[in-house]
Amino acid sequence: MSTQIQEESEEATETETETAPVERESPGDRRREAKRTASDQRVASEPVGEIEGDTFRLKVFRYDPEVEGKMEPRFDDFTVPREKGMTVLDALIYARDHYDTTLTFRHSCRQAVCGSDAFFINGRQRLGCQTQISDLDGPVRVEPLPHQDVVKDLVVDMEHFYDQMHAVEPFFQGDTPDGDLEEQRQSRENREKIKMSTRCIWCGACMSSCNIAAGDNEYLGPAAINKAYRFAMDDREEDELKEHRMKILDQEHGVWRCQTQFSCTNVCPKDIPLTEHIQELKREAVKQNLKFW
Amino acid sequence: MAERYSSFRSGSRSWLFQRVTAAFLVVVLAFHFFLLHFVNHASEVTFAGTSARMEQWGYLLTMVLFLLTATFHGVNGVYAALLNQGLTGTKKRAVKGVLAIAGLALAAQGTYVALVMSGVM
Amino acid sequence: MSQSYNRGLVEDFGRWREFTAGMWAWILHKFTGWVLVGYLFTHIAVLSTALPASNAASGVIAAETDVYTTTLQGLESLALVRVLEVGLLAVAVFHILNGVRLLFVDLGVGLEAQDKSFYASLVVTAAIVLASVPTFLEGVF
Repeated sequence: MSTQIQEESEEATETETETAPVERESPGDRRREAKRTASDQRVASEPVGEIEGDTFRLKVFRYDPEVEGKMEPRFDDFTVPREKGMTVLDALIYARDHYDTTLTFRHSCRQAVCGSDAFFINGRQRLGCQTQISDLDGPVRVEPLPHQDVVKDLVVDMEHFYDQMHAVEPFFQGDTPDGDLEEQRQSRENREKIKMSTRCIWCGACMSSCNIAAGDNEYLGPAAINKAYRFAMDDREEDELKEHRMKILDQEHGVWRCQTQFSCTNVCPKDIPLTEHIQELKREAVKQNLKFW
Repeated sequence: MAERYSSFRSGSRSWLFQRVTAAFLVVVLAFHFFLLHFVNHASEVTFAGTSARMEQWGYLLTMVLFLLTATFHGVNGVYAALLNQGLTGTKKRAVKGVLAIAGLALAAQGTYVALVMSGVM
Repeated sequence: MSQSYNRGLVEDFGRWREFTAGMWAWILHKFTGWVLVGYLFTHIAVLSTALPASNAASGVIAAETDVYTTTLQGLESLALVRVLEVGLLAVAVFHILNGVRLLFVDLGVGLEAQDKSFYASLVVTAAIVLASVPTFLEGVF
């Protein structure tokens, strides 16, 4: 790891001891201590303790089943310099690079496209890269997404979320046009209709915020239903396909479990009107069933 | 693959009935409260007064419908609330059975009482 | 992945301060629903006193001393019952108003104003209940 700056860890821990005395004994510290004595080639860099300017406290959920002292979940405090335009992800990266290299979280594009850094920040599901520190009250509290199993620190098990996504067959299945050079055209209106639903980045914030999904493990969840909406409402797919898609949605644990709490719509980082889409699918399912009567 | 969906049983019918009964109940429940607390005071209800009201066919029919829709709406609402908690399998079937019996018993008893009040039985 | 940690219901009532309007609406709608369905059963039970009352002699009914009349008026004379009735009114009015709100949500109307309509239903419920208190408590205190 090239970004790590070892010298700082000890002093940084000292600034933290006031708030989190546990930190001192943590195996991470012991490991770093051992590393420090073993290594001769320490480079002197700017000492901590004197971070210039304004700082804020970052509280991060820690858990690691493989490290003895971290098996019991806890919160660690980090002092992070406040910078203009700093996001929660920036702050986490700072904490990892300057204090504790074992701090684990997913991130990739840093621009709200990859959907890997959804966290529970100050009591709400948000993308770390999209959330400005200046918009939050301190201390900034970062937890893994609720209602998903924690694998390590801020990393949660997304398997169930992906299962639900795949359950709705999230891919285009329309017939390919006859001619080789034939295009499969979509009307402008139809594109507008499904536009918002195509913006999903599979971050799982909605599913995590939904308290029905938390109780009912079989519920498809907002993201999967929105994905199904994207294809069910796409005119380029044939009617039989739409029927097939509606069948998946129209089960007890499909769209009907949505209780219109708007939690998913509130937290969606891409502003997808999830509740609206789910409601439209409910009405669509009722219409279809009335047709068959 | 983990738990996805267990069956293809549609939930649209109970959802729709829940909304339709809701729309009906909004009106009738408001009427019921108004009639028995503001027009006639609840503290002044007598058997003679009750049967005088219930002897009107329109009123009797409204009240029986009120009972039936309210029972469905209430019992189905409870069932939905329990499903939302993640009720599945045998427990779900048991709850469904108990609620159905309770609902039917309530509807039967209530209808019987209404008919007796109106002097039909 | 050898092990993982289940944090359980993280967004439980310990975090009630962070609940949004839609979540409160759901909680209150469910609570009032349970109350109303419970009341429906007891209501029919109490009204069932009409069964023996209907067999009473016409003189007893005219004198208002039949089981039905005495039971209902006996209950209504209790201050506690009257107060509970005000509570029932509050519960019913909220359930009606929020129910109307939910019907609109189901029709896809006014989804952007769903939080405002919830607050409105709370305010209107409070207004109606306060205005009804005199009528409901008349003659018992």
